[in-house]
Amino acid sequence: MKKLEIGTKESIYIFILSLLYLVYGVLQFYNGLVGWMPYLGENLQIGVPVLGTYIPFAFPSIFSGLALFTVGALLLKGVYMRHQGDEKYCGYVFVGWAMAMLLMALNILVIIADILDTYYPLVWGETIEEGWSLAGDAWGIAPHLILGLLLTPFYTRMKDILRELSPMKYRISLSKKEVREWK
Amino acid sequence: MKIRVALAGNPNVGKSVVFNNLTGGHQHIGNWPGKTIDKAEGTLNYKGNEIYIIDLPGTYSLTAYSVEELIARDYIIQEKPDVVVNIVDASNLERNLYLTLQLSELGANIIIALNKMDLAKKENAKIEVKKLEKILGIPIIPMVAPRKEGMKELTDAIIKYAENPVKREIRYDEKIEKYIDEVRRIIEGKIEGLNPRWAAIKILENDEEIKKKIGKDLLSRCEEVRENMKNEVGDPEVALADARYELIKEICKDVLIKEKKVTASDIIDSVLLDKYLGIPIFISILWMIFQFGFMISAPFCDFLGDGFAQVSSALSGITGIRWLDYLLFGDYGVLNGLGMVLSFVPLIILLYFALSLVEDFGYMARAAFLMDRIMRKLGLSGRAIIPMILGLGCNVPAIYATRTIPDEKDRLVAIVTNPLMLCGARLVFFSAIVGAFWGEMGGDVLLSLYLLGVVLTFIVAIILRKTVFKGKASPFILELPPYQMPVPRVCLRKAWERGKLFFTKAGKVILPGILILGILLITSTSFAYTENAEESIAAVIGKALLPLVKPLGWDWRLLVAALFGIVAKEIVLGASALLYGVSEENIAATMASMYTPLQMYSYLVFILIYVPCIVTIGAIKQEAGTKWAVFTVIYEILLAYLVAWLVLGIGHLMGVA
Repeated sequence: MKKLEIGTKESIYIFILSLLYLVYGVLQFYNGLVGWMPYLGENLQIGVPVLGTYIPFAFPSIFSGLALFTVGALLLKGVYMRHQGDEKYCGYVFVGWAMAMLLMALNILVIIADILDTYYPLVWGETIEEGWSLAGDAWGIAPHLILGLLLTPFYTRMKDILRELSPMKYRISLSKKEVREWK
Repeated sequence: MKIRVALAGNPNVGKSVVFNNLTGGHQHIGNWPGKTIDKAEGTLNYKGNEIYIIDLPGTYSLTAYSVEELIARDYIIQEKPDVVVNIVDASNLERNLYLTLQLSELGANIIIALNKMDLAKKENAKIEVKKLEKILGIPIIPMVAPRKEGMKELTDAIIKYAENPVKREIRYDEKIEKYIDEVRRIIEGKIEGLNPRWAAIKILENDEEIKKKIGKDLLSRCEEVRENMKNEVGDPEVALADARYELIKEICKDVLIKEKKVTASDIIDSVLLDKYLGIPIFISILWMIFQFGFMISAPFCDFLGDGFAQVSSALSGITGIRWLDYLLFGDYGVLNGLGMVLSFVPLIILLYFALSLVEDFGYMARAAFLMDRIMRKLGLSGRAIIPMILGLGCNVPAIYATRTIPDEKDRLVAIVTNPLMLCGARLVFFSAIVGAFWGEMGGDVLLSLYLLGVVLTFIVAIILRKTVFKGKASPFILELPPYQMPVPRVCLRKAWERGKLFFTKAGKVILPGILILGILLITSTSFAYTENAEESIAAVIGKALLPLVKPLGWDWRLLVAALFGIVAKEIVLGASALLYGVSEENIAATMASMYTPLQMYSYLVFILIYVPCIVTIGAIKQEAGTKWAVFTVIYEILLAYLVAWLVLGIGHLMGVA
């Protein structure tokens, strides 16, 4: 496998993002706890107020908080190991990055699903009383999406690992025609 | 010509893929070991030959230590297939050849299907196939089964070698061979239906199953030889295993050129199996799977639910018979209940699609490995992990999967605790409720129920292991397959198969169940038609039993829904719709107006734990006997009651909203 090369500036950038993942992870975890036990305190947000909501919006979820925290921990450990000169750092950065991409994709899919859920009654000829809004969305633009986007440029660095994971072409003896005939 | 073929090989070498390619079957295929628990059968008509194919369970050897090994070897010994296709993982040649040598000892007519050639190449391994063929004296067909490459050659070879069998005896070190020959001379012609050389080896290995087949006189003579062998080379079983490994080492030295390098799988494994981060990663992945299934399916489930409501209202009055119309299309009608259950098909499909992606990537085996660490610390067998994970889909195949656990005590513990895993059927009801009660936190609530199921499984297993099934847990060998990007098309097909099963179950079990409940709901105690649910037979039954669940704060409807859930867990949702007389979109809202989230969570916990469905009880009875089936039902009811009551009590104390 080719080595995953990350420069000093890039590792500083990942370090900052890992801290943001950790912060938002803790925040979501806290909001999740508050959702179950309101006497613990109030829902907290540290995003920018936009259209009646926050960007990013730390929706209350204990497990989502754990997922963000885990991504942050993976990236942080990766950066730390790189700093220590440990070659294994690329595994931590790769898995952290891959999980961040999955969380970002999930956030996008949730928004699309929410929009569909709002407007599907039109198919049955019903009217929509209240349309979709960012403020009413279950997840909204969550840290998953924003922080994931900020990590997207690292795709170029991850390509080698991704390529190695994809099934490889290896022909033995049969042509496609022969396979068709056999079938 | 009629040809009988057995597919044999180590777990996770692609036997099921080869089987499906040959027969056009749809056996479930996964990137982790232990998929084929029983024999799968199919046929192929090729060049005028009728080829009957049997897929044997994956085994690493042919001892008598586990059920799957016994199934595999008994088939080869008793049924004597014309050809045994030994599927060998080219990327893991050394380990796979151990079984090849044992098959050869059996005297089977073997063809080696050298699968995963692509993976071997990817790992920079070069196998000199012709040389290997010559050394072993066994025909070898290189192949890449998922792309059907080499399948034609394999089929041609099956026909060729069925007509002209190739049987070659592989001999070990002379120190060992002299004892094998000695025992062979003692038993030759005296054991029917067994290859004498193989039987001799097995007797030297102290194989109880084979020893049972020979008389006391012969056995004592064989024991004498065994004792002599023990004095010369040590424990005969170990010596024979060493001899096989020594031979494999020699063979591989000649035919395998492998460059050791760090692969992507190696570096990913160092992270996913991290001592501290492994478990948080596992929980995060599970959370993503459930969010994906739960959130993304919502519009499709709602759309279908509305569709059924529209059809129901359009058909209302069509029969012209008031009671029948009410029974079929009314608010408490069968179509309403059935529609609500079926509207969750998108959730089932999406959830299993996500699970298949993770499974095909190769993560499930890692999850099992991670959990094994914890389980061993708790004194449990890590082998129970695979049935536990299968239990997330359906408890029935999961209970059959416990056959792979060699130790009987471990197996019984795995069987009686498996129904605590949250299966797809319970998921249907839970998904309908959590969204309305907990909104965006619904996914968390769902995952908490999954985790509760796992924790309870551990607790019950530990208690059983320390009381009823005292003893040490058996060791667990798990192969970690290399990671590979999943093919979405393949995963979709698997998910669709699961969806289809759900449809079948809806027709065979859920519909009759809901129909019976519907009749009980429109029939009064004087057997007259009634539209007042409170006067119905169902209400009378529910109210009569209500004092039993008074501490849990239920009404008679929740109780009756739970009772009907014993038939199939999906019915709890359809039954709730009928009992509350509301449609899919209103059921949870109606319940939310009657119960607090804490009360409802306690009810969900009860449904999670109480009584397995009838089919699961049947599977337990079949695998463990009536005693353990009854035991499971009783302990689960008591446990469900206790935990639901504790949730309610502790929740109140903690001031949970």
